[in-house]
Amino acid sequence: MTFFDFLNLLIAALLLAGIYAVMSVGMTVIYGVMKIVNLAHAGFMMMGAYFAFELNERLHLDPILAALLAFPFFFLVGIATHWLLVRWLPHSDRPTLQSLLLMFGIWLVLQNIGYLVWGNTDRSIFTPRTLSVIDLGPITISTLRLVVFVAAVGCMVVLEIALSRTWFGRSVRALIQNRYAGRIVGVDDEKTARLTFGMGIAFAGVAGALLATLYSFDPDFGRPFLLRAFVIIVLGGLESVSGVALGALVLALVETFSILVVPAAYQPAISFALLVVVLVVLPGGIASLWAKRRRLA
Amino acid sequence: MSTAVYVPSRIKSRIRMLLPWLLLVVLAVLPIAGLTPNLIRLFFITFVWVTTSLGWNLLGGFTGQVSFGFAVFYGLGAYTAALMIDRGVNPYLSFLAAGLVPGLASFLIGLPTFRLRGPYFAIATIGVSEATRVIMNNLEITGGASGYRIMEHVPFRQVEHYYTALGMAALAVAASLLIVHSKFGMALRAIKQDEEAAADLGVNPYANKLAIHAVAAIFTGVAGGVFARYAAFINPQGVFAFQTSVYILLMPVIGGIGTVWGAVLGGVVFGMVEEQLVANFPQIHLLLYGALLILIILVEPDGIAGLLGKIFRRLRIPGRKDDGADSGSRKADEVLRRTAGG
Repeated sequence: MTFFDFLNLLIAALLLAGIYAVMSVGMTVIYGVMKIVNLAHAGFMMMGAYFAFELNERLHLDPILAALLAFPFFFLVGIATHWLLVRWLPHSDRPTLQSLLLMFGIWLVLQNIGYLVWGNTDRSIFTPRTLSVIDLGPITISTLRLVVFVAAVGCMVVLEIALSRTWFGRSVRALIQNRYAGRIVGVDDEKTARLTFGMGIAFAGVAGALLATLYSFDPDFGRPFLLRAFVIIVLGGLESVSGVALGALVLALVETFSILVVPAAYQPAISFALLVVVLVVLPGGIASLWAKRRRLA
Repeated sequence: MSTAVYVPSRIKSRIRMLLPWLLLVVLAVLPIAGLTPNLIRLFFITFVWVTTSLGWNLLGGFTGQVSFGFAVFYGLGAYTAALMIDRGVNPYLSFLAAGLVPGLASFLIGLPTFRLRGPYFAIATIGVSEATRVIMNNLEITGGASGYRIMEHVPFRQVEHYYTALGMAALAVAASLLIVHSKFGMALRAIKQDEEAAADLGVNPYANKLAIHAVAAIFTGVAGGVFARYAAFINPQGVFAFQTSVYILLMPVIGGIGTVWGAVLGGVVFGMVEEQLVANFPQIHLLLYGALLILIILVEPDGIAGLLGKIFRRLRIPGRKDDGADSGSRKADEVLRRTAGG
């Protein structure tokens, strides 16, 4: 492998990491605030993909624009889901059997609505951008991946600002740290949970729409990404938003470079192998290497 | 005023103890009494499902560890039995192996994930089923994605399969009841309620979770093996399918999580309804299952068993208050409370 091959792979991994981060961050905030593992994330990602597909097909909208539109749309969908179903779950400071099964049920319903509406044929979104590349001598970068990366980083920046500068962000961070203490100092946990759920689902929708421009998809679209998202979250330490970016980068690097050694057919097994390794070696995530956890519990 | 006839509770509990035996005798006599082959097949499938449902329930219902990957054990059992029967090994010996292999495989999932608190186990199980199907799709020895045909050089006797499955389901019920009413079962329920409190009382959550996971895997694996022998053809998209995991999880939830008879009930209802549903609504049967799952979790988390219990209590049938497996869990609660509260 030449130096430029290496560089090309490195750039590919970096570009992949951006979209991976957006895909996982929604799960992280929901888990952090509500201690619910959102298995339905996969379903909402799939819906996001078809959202972009339909807008592109019917209104000839640019899929990147569709991804931006997906944010408010799926925010409302998330709030509605929370209001209809999720808020009836008993509160708990750890994931419960009920919450796991409920989210799983929602995923099943979404997935099969997908099959009902769009059938099980593979779809893809094709734009003039799909095949174009930026040529920099020995280094080539896919334009589309670059655009998706920029959009993904934009999302992450907006989220970071929302979390660090707004009152909503402060209450989210307070609830992630300690739900009960947060309530004592006057955080409206019900309202924050609702908004957080909406935001988590919005990120799922955006990630789905962005991924739809890169890969072909069917109603089972989200499943391989669900496991990836979870590996990233575990790598990041389960509740930390900045950890997600790091986790995404690690997974993207491992996946990209494993192509050199592992046959392509076994690719889906890689994220699982990584998960097992992380659980055995570093159950606290990468951040635990240099940071002591501030939380006692 | 209650007008119910007074029956001493000792006799009543004796009747209740006899009921399962009665059921077993009826089921054993049924094929002789002349069951159509189609009905025998339906019963056979139901017994297989009941066994898997009991297995999942031991881990999910009693210990509180949700697994979305039981298709792995079902498939491993099916393939183990298939490979052995095809090579002329005695089928019943093969079924033993079909339980053993998934039992060992369960440690691969349990060892890294059960050590940690949190949702690690549940998510890892999704990953495992994904990874296993990928590997099975590419494995040479089992024919990869095109599946595996079992050649057994004996005439096909449906009734034999029926009795095998019946025996297996009966053993699963008996083993479940024994486990649930033992000290081990009490430890499991303690883990479900509060892992740390259980650990403080001298229960080792890690070892107990690993053990029950293996037991559940054995149940499911044997069921997979018995099914494989009957079906004579298995493929990764069938036995290792995500759908299989969904089914296995759904049954105890429908019937009533955390009670032995609830899991049996769920398996029976599912076994009887499944084919009708698939035949009549091939497009939306999984959609219906998902909606049912949501409905049960939000409205009646104790499933059909819980619903029946409520109805019986409403009707004021005396003695129904502490019944069957329910009393077991209540007794455990009581012991826990007493020991923990001092």
